[in-house]
Amino acid sequence: MGDKNERLDVKGMALADGPRWLVQDLTFSVGPGSVHMLLGERDTGKTAILEALAGRRKLERGTLLAPAPAALVPQPAGSAQIRVLDRLILHRQPKRMGMFIHWKQAREEAKALAARFALDGLLDVPVETLRPLERRLLELAASLADQPALLLLDEPTSELGPHEARHFLATIRRVASEEKIPAVITSAFPRDAYPDAEAVTILWRGAEPVTVTTHECSEGTLVERWTGGLGIRRTPSGHHTPGEPLLRIEDLVLRGRGRETSLAGLEFEVKAGEVLAIVGAPADGLNLLHDVLLGSRSPEQGSMQFLGKEMILSTRRHRVESGISFVNPPHARDQAIPEFTIEENLILGQITGPPFARKGFLRHDSIRGNAVRTLRDFEIPEAEANHRFRQLKLGDRQRVIVAREVLRNPVLMVARSPAQGLSLAAQEYVRRALVLQCERGSGLLWLTEEPEEAMRVADRLAVLAAGRFVWIPVTETLTREMIIDEMSGAAA
Amino acid sequence: MIPGRSRGGPWVLLGNAALLVALFTGSYLIAAAAGSSQGWPPWSGDIVLAAAGLLFLGLAFLFPLHAGLLNLGIHAQFLAGFIAGSLVARSADILPGAQGLLGLIAGAGGGLFVGVVMAWLKRKLAIHEILSGLLLAAMLVPVARAFGVEPAAAPALEIQLGTLARTLAWAPGLHLAPSFVMAWGILLLALGIGLGLLAAHLLRASVRGFELRAVGSNPLAAVAAGVDVDAMQMLTVAAGGACAGLVGALQLWTDPAVALERWPVPLGFAGITVAFLGGGYLRGALVAAIVLAVWLNTPGVAAALSSPLWGGAMALLLVLPAFWNLPRLIPDQGAPRAIWRTRHRETV
Repeated sequence: MGDKNERLDVKGMALADGPRWLVQDLTFSVGPGSVHMLLGERDTGKTAILEALAGRRKLERGTLLAPAPAALVPQPAGSAQIRVLDRLILHRQPKRMGMFIHWKQAREEAKALAARFALDGLLDVPVETLRPLERRLLELAASLADQPALLLLDEPTSELGPHEARHFLATIRRVASEEKIPAVITSAFPRDAYPDAEAVTILWRGAEPVTVTTHECSEGTLVERWTGGLGIRRTPSGHHTPGEPLLRIEDLVLRGRGRETSLAGLEFEVKAGEVLAIVGAPADGLNLLHDVLLGSRSPEQGSMQFLGKEMILSTRRHRVESGISFVNPPHARDQAIPEFTIEENLILGQITGPPFARKGFLRHDSIRGNAVRTLRDFEIPEAEANHRFRQLKLGDRQRVIVAREVLRNPVLMVARSPAQGLSLAAQEYVRRALVLQCERGSGLLWLTEEPEEAMRVADRLAVLAAGRFVWIPVTETLTREMIIDEMSGAAA
Repeated sequence: MIPGRSRGGPWVLLGNAALLVALFTGSYLIAAAAGSSQGWPPWSGDIVLAAAGLLFLGLAFLFPLHAGLLNLGIHAQFLAGFIAGSLVARSADILPGAQGLLGLIAGAGGGLFVGVVMAWLKRKLAIHEILSGLLLAAMLVPVARAFGVEPAAAPALEIQLGTLARTLAWAPGLHLAPSFVMAWGILLLALGIGLGLLAAHLLRASVRGFELRAVGSNPLAAVAAGVDVDAMQMLTVAAGGACAGLVGALQLWTDPAVALERWPVPLGFAGITVAFLGGGYLRGALVAAIVLAVWLNTPGVAAALSSPLWGGAMALLLVLPAFWNLPRLIPDQGAPRAIWRTRHRETV
């Protein structure tokens, strides 16, 4: 058991990764029962700081007084094919004769632990069927099995919708308070600091960190201070005039897997030249709707007409060849091949004929020319056509993918959280590139779990909650809270 | 090579080279201890035939590997080729002059059939190719043995290369006529080299090669790009099966006992060693096949492989390259779980 009621004190901490400084002159303090947030984009040293606080990384400079032992909950990983019960006792099983697991006692202990997070009814459920929020609660519960004196969570809200994130952060605050231990979380969303974190340390690349308290700094001020105003722009180039209907979905019904919410008769249409944004939590039907649009799942009922043709049973290839283009989240594994070169990734799905192939053979001069022009036109100067895709930063990878899809000049684009996890500049770039394509006459269907993102791009906006749509007019008075209320209210 | 999946660098090459040095040194020392080091350095016309067989076995593993499949059914395909070849070569109804060629074609067909069965089991019943391949091999071993371990009569067709044959020092370990070894060995080795080089070129230059590389590197992205992943995987495992089956049929005229009785070191699995020693490269497999063929014909190796102790030690050495080659050759979709994944779609 660790020492409770101890403070976490960091003074002048510096961390390095080889010759590169990850963070310098970091100073903050967290009292027992308090939550502290580290706010920063990718690659600003957030994970390294947590590793240092957990004693897993050496300090280059500074002092660290951290209660031990620390529980470090890593970023969400792939779902495990084990039961909730197994996950809870994974690192600490009551033994019988020192050899065999005492299952009765293990179940009792796991049940008591799970009950603190309302997971006790799910002990025999496979982890992979849990909703994202339940998975994060499970990881939090599992981390408490060793009774830590310091709680560290790395980007715990990255997979959660806003209302789920708020629920989870309130739970962290409750746990920290009950256990009388300090908690430190990392995040790329300023909203995560409110209302449960006491203070926020803002991290930038190549600049000194700054710590502010949430009492002295409102959420809007925090965003301004972090981004310099970049991240609060609205629609990149104004509203667009809708044209003829391109995609019409009617009476879409699909049963969810595990604890996913089913789609209960969705109806909508996307017109040429407009951006329809659909906001929702992944498990509230957003993933299911995306699967249906991709053609990877067939609904039990309903129709999907694209340019007047029924496509509900068609393959993804047929949909792409008909003029639909898909841009998925940057970390999605199905939109690029990391080991291929950039020029090869730029022609994925386009090699059935000219200009990139002829008589069954690739035309390498055409492929290279396409890559060079694309990298120049889409302002990706650090990349070379023959570089491996995996050598690119996440933001540049997504730029390459957006460029590939935009250059197809599709009739309709379906974007699913295309800027998730990117740096602010890359987020803005991706949004602008997609919306500009919409201004050229394409329709744009934007699926996201981020209300802010939807507000920035949408001409029309629907909230997907409990498998149904709630339409919200896009006006100057629309606020993020209105969207979150619709998501949360329906979810409750 | 497997384009786009080379991350090994010099250490992989060094590891493979060190292993070969260990093999040659070890077998020389074993032979010297047994007083049979005469004939060193080795040279035998059988090397040509052995290199041809090993190259085809290497291709049998490498073709499916490019589509992300681990063809551990290589021995089953090898045995199916042996069985199909036996049906032709031991048949009195077929002209002796045609038995050689028809036997090899039948062998390739037998191996191809097993490859298709494996791909079908994976596609329809989600049975992983490792499991189906090993089970099929275990089933086919007794069937193959039922066809006898005596060599079949050498096919009547002989290509007269007398002048070239006479110029080479000849140490016929397999007791075959030089003209047979030269004819079939050179023919098959040339065919294997041509096939390997053609496959390497098509992988780089053709649309289907591009799609195949996509399937092997990231099946999810390949599906999204509109590639028929199932068809690609079936095509490559069938092609690999044909290569392994051809070698199985070839074994009829050389030494069937080696093919059928050298358990737990089945000859079919030699293709995996060739593929790994070649670093997963088609051209590398060519070099590895020749080097291993030379090693197999060094004095004392045949006797050492028959001994449980030395045979086991050498088998262990031959398995080692898998440890530093395999991790960089498996598909990029979340290893290590990916290797056990039976479906390439995350959703149905």
